[in-house]
Amino acid sequence: MKRLRTDLEGRAAIADYLQAEFPFLEDAGVLSPYPGGRSAGLERLEQFQLEKYGKQRNFLDGEVGRLSPYISRGCIELEEVRQWALKRGKSNSVEKFVSELAWRAFFHLVYEEEGDRILKDMEKPKVSMRQHQTTLPEDIANGETGIPSMDTFIAMLKETGYLHNHARMYLASYIVHFRRVSWRAGADWMYGLLIDGDFASNHLSWQWVASTFSHKPYIFNRENLERYAGSVLPGDPRKGDPFNYSYEELSEQLFGGEYQPERSRTSGSYR
Amino acid sequence: MAALIWFNEDGLNPQHQMVQDYADAPRVYVFDVDYLQQWAIAKHRIQFIYESLLEIPNIEIYKGETVAVLRQLITDYEVNEVVTTETPNHLIKSWQDELLRYTSLITYPEVYPTIDSRPRRFSHYWRKCDREWLTL
Ligand SMILES: Cc1cc2nc3c(=O)[nH]c(=O)nc-3n(C[C@H](O)[C@H](O)[C@H](O)COP(=O)(O)OP(=O)(O)OC[C@H]3O[C@@H](n4cnc5c(N)ncnc54)[C@H](O)[C@@H]3O)c2cc1C
Repeated sequence: MKRLRTDLEGRAAIADYLQAEFPFLEDAGVLSPYPGGRSAGLERLEQFQLEKYGKQRNFLDGEVGRLSPYISRGCIELEEVRQWALKRGKSNSVEKFVSELAWRAFFHLVYEEEGDRILKDMEKPKVSMRQHQTTLPEDIANGETGIPSMDTFIAMLKETGYLHNHARMYLASYIVHFRRVSWRAGADWMYGLLIDGDFASNHLSWQWVASTFSHKPYIFNRENLERYAGSVLPGDPRKGDPFNYSYEELSEQLFGGEYQPERSRTSGSYR
Repeated sequence: MAALIWFNEDGLNPQHQMVQDYADAPRVYVFDVDYLQQWAIAKHRIQFIYESLLEIPNIEIYKGETVAVLRQLITDYEVNEVVTTETPNHLIKSWQDELLRYTSLITYPEVYPTIDSRPRRFSHYWRKCDREWLTL
């Protein structure tokens, strides 16, 4: 047992100190844009333009809270954020935002009930996953899949310790359905990289994408990716694009027609 | 009774009720090295936690094995109560369970506007509880 210093000043000095105390850590090379602490969380809350949330939340360049590091690590409490939002009066944005807070509570209630059983399939998958590999391929871990959009998401995750919800969904779907990697391998990997890493929200969201905690697998196509994330992505080559298909075609390719998608699945919302 | 406040990574609020209720108790946090390595916890998270801890006055930050460090501190400070926050995290819960063999434990629950037992789909949960969630 060793007592750590608490007299350091400045984030760069803290980064150096922690690197020396925990030499097994991979040095991210940059400071995350999320400084820890309740005061930084409250500041973030003050800056958050909640009135834009309802319309913009599914877009990667849209207004979202970016509060999850502070909420997950308990710097600010879910209940105080809920009350803060409701005090703004009724609006579609407030309602949507509060329902997203409720998602977190929902996952926590399930975890509270199930304990570490959430690390295994909650339900039978709705499409076959028997061939899925159980370790994460290195190109994914290294952010070198060769698909610039996915590599961008992986780089964002590593550089900032945060990802927009829609980016998490795309990345999880890519890993589980397009690459046929078990959701657990992907979930464990992302859990470690996220500042807000939380077994309930993370592992159960991966299961939601996989279809072991939902009625159907979550997939996306090129049109959807461009619409919601295009503005922050570098552009993928057209040749050999795994996403440039209709949902019907993707379903046939990925699931051998085992599962029939709805005609359009364009929003980033869970249902 | 002498108490010790043990913060966990899901509850780093310097203004938490437990800090007010046990204003004189020593406050500690343990970076569990085995956990950090086993789950490949990234540096950004560790730095975030560390920076959050620095906002807690008189915090003592340790690295080591959680239960062993806490047992040592319980002896050193001669406390018979450990105060902490509830979390569904099964790893933290297992440390809490182990600690119970050596001390009494007071856990402050997380506050929700409503609790539904055994929810399975969010849509059901929301349909049942939206009113409570949307009321101040
Ligand atoms: C594959 C995958 C993994 C995820 N892993 C985590 C995780 O480890 N930790 C985590 O906190 N969230 C996780 N989420 C949920 C969600 O992506 C993040 O909570 C959200 O993106 C955080 O950004 P924000 O604060 O800007 O969210 P906002 O949209 O501003 O929402 C405000 C708050 O509501 C809660 N919230 C919003 N959406 C969700 C959601 N879908 N599920 C649960 N809570 C939600 C969060 O506490 C969030 O801070 C994951 C989602 C997916 C698809």
